[in-house]
Amino acid sequence: MVATETKVTEATPTSKAASKKLRDRNQILLARLGWRFTTPSLLVVGLVTIFPISFSVILSLSNVTLSGNGFSLGGFTFNNFSILIHSSEWRYALAFTIFYTIVSVLVEVILGTMIALLMERLSGGRGPMMALLLLPWSIITVISAELWQYIFQGSYGVMQQIFSAVGLGKPVFLGSPTPAIISMMIADIWKTTPFVAVIVLAGLVMLPGDVFEAAAVDGCSGWVMFWKITFPLLRPTIAIAVLFRILQAFGIFDLPFVLTGGGPGTSTTSLAILGYKAMFQNLQFGPGSAVAVSATGLVLIGCLSFLKVFKSQVNSGE
Amino acid sequence: MATINLENIKKIYPNGYEAVHDISLSIAEGEFMVLVGPSGCGKTTLLRMVAGLEDISHGSLKIGEKVVNEVSPKDRDIAMVFQNYALYPHMTVAENIGFALKLKKLPKEEIGNKVRAAAELLGLTEWLDRKPRELSGGQRQRVAMGRAIVREPSVLLMDEPLSNLDAKLRVKMRSEVLKIQRQLGVATMYVTHDQTEAMTMGDRVAVLNSGNLLQCDTPQNLYDYPIDQFVASFIGSPAINLYQAELTQGAKGLILAGELIDLPDSVLVSHPILESYASKQITVGIRPEDLSLADELETNAVGAVVEIVEALGSELIVHFTIKANSITVEGAIEEAETIMESKGAGVARIEPRAIVKAGDNVRLKPNSTAFHFFDSVTGIAIY
Repeated sequence: MVATETKVTEATPTSKAASKKLRDRNQILLARLGWRFTTPSLLVVGLVTIFPISFSVILSLSNVTLSGNGFSLGGFTFNNFSILIHSSEWRYALAFTIFYTIVSVLVEVILGTMIALLMERLSGGRGPMMALLLLPWSIITVISAELWQYIFQGSYGVMQQIFSAVGLGKPVFLGSPTPAIISMMIADIWKTTPFVAVIVLAGLVMLPGDVFEAAAVDGCSGWVMFWKITFPLLRPTIAIAVLFRILQAFGIFDLPFVLTGGGPGTSTTSLAILGYKAMFQNLQFGPGSAVAVSATGLVLIGCLSFLKVFKSQVNSGE
Repeated sequence: MATINLENIKKIYPNGYEAVHDISLSIAEGEFMVLVGPSGCGKTTLLRMVAGLEDISHGSLKIGEKVVNEVSPKDRDIAMVFQNYALYPHMTVAENIGFALKLKKLPKEEIGNKVRAAAELLGLTEWLDRKPRELSGGQRQRVAMGRAIVREPSVLLMDEPLSNLDAKLRVKMRSEVLKIQRQLGVATMYVTHDQTEAMTMGDRVAVLNSGNLLQCDTPQNLYDYPIDQFVASFIGSPAINLYQAELTQGAKGLILAGELIDLPDSVLVSHPILESYASKQITVGIRPEDLSLADELETNAVGAVVEIVEALGSELIVHFTIKANSITVEGAIEEAETIMESKGAGVARIEPRAIVKAGDNVRLKPNSTAFHFFDSVTGIAIY
């Protein structure tokens, strides 16, 4: 770009204004060409992203009636959202999703950071270790959820065998609310801690080594080093990992869908499961869409405020 | 305040590579010791061993009266200035400078006072609330200095602290660093690859090459009495001219580029061993300032062809070739500094108003009392 521009100005001995005009024309032509190239992909993106999102917003704000030949949209209404707010199921699903997000993301970040710190100390064999570490992350959730279901199974599950072998009786894992919630979190932490570890490790190896040496000379070691130097320098990286994880965890669907089906009762029903059930099992299109829209709105607000809080810290880490 | 004593220090890496061979060196209280040498000579490794950032494979290191081989960096009572400053990016200038004091759990008020005093000394007062990324290179360098001096360490270590500054600022900071060191009166080890920096700053200069300590002396002694070809070439800019030459019988004269140059008796008095090299090949070293233009018929001079003339105003740097084999010492002269690599190349510093231009055939008269002689096989100086 720059090269062609200079060439143009040099080659034509016209006035500055003329060459500027030429440059502007070039820019316009380039911009047009750009639009021509991107339009097909924009159409695809629009079709698979913008349309469904807008359509759910429309659904959530409409009186939807079902009949023998499909559904029809009635007038504009906030009724669907008022149904949600008055529904104890939605309030529970919201509370559960928030609780699940906070606890699992917190544990994943702590564990992931610890693993990354350990991995960073490995002088050799970091590659194979990384591959091993990433194994849980690379397994499709539906498959790993099935695996965990076997592990937590009520009569032949491995976990129950272990508990009874060490004399802790035969606890129920997936059949009772609190253990089911804990089991689901364990399955999620097992799967996504590696993701956090890899991101944090990437940040860790990028940190300037001489800063740590300067800190060592200044009198830092062990925990003081971690809290005063390592953690503050890692904060931008951790913030990014947390952001990704919040987005994923808040919309969790596949894990509870396979592992517990949202049960027992509604104890592991996340917002995504609730929305799915309302839409596709109970065919309540209006309220179902309202669940989806509410979840999207909430996670958006959550992430934006998180970014706002961390923005100054992200910048200070540069 | 304390002395630093290195006794038979070696650094051997796990793969068997010996980066530092058996170095002994002692630095007195308040002394400014410069470690200088080409890159990879082991100077930084040596400094890092003193700092405790590298293990010492062999030998003993004393700071004051205490052997500190196994003492961690933070307990050695040292301060270090790093090449890339290594400032804490998430802390303000004040926090950076006061960090070590905070770790020592000094009262807040005292930290504040010391930080302000250091900032004043370094002209950083108005930048105390800034983060390092908002500062210029020179200011960052000052913060790094401030961080080192605020602790009043017994030993100050500096690893090429000025190498990231532009040339002008570097010259200015040289004298500032020196001034601060004098004020603190603390034993200082200063690593650089720049011989000018070494000469202008050091009370004594230790010249290292390939992990060996070649010579440690005052800048003037290094210049006047280099121990070998390497030190002779490394110290001084433009570098010394080294040529293959032959001594006459009785070492009364020198044959250089096919011409006879008489050696006055005083040379044999100051270089008694020279006599044993009579009628033999030797390497002669002539500093650029010891060459002057001579008349066409003058004896004790050699014919030269002028290749390049650099007019500096105060003097002319004349690059020439003579009909002798010039000798270059590997690693001693930075590649960027060598303008000509042709056979017989040399440099002379000539008075500014002399009339010479490229292509001229001239005669150059060396000051024969200022010759340096080296064994042509070992490169060791002959005195």
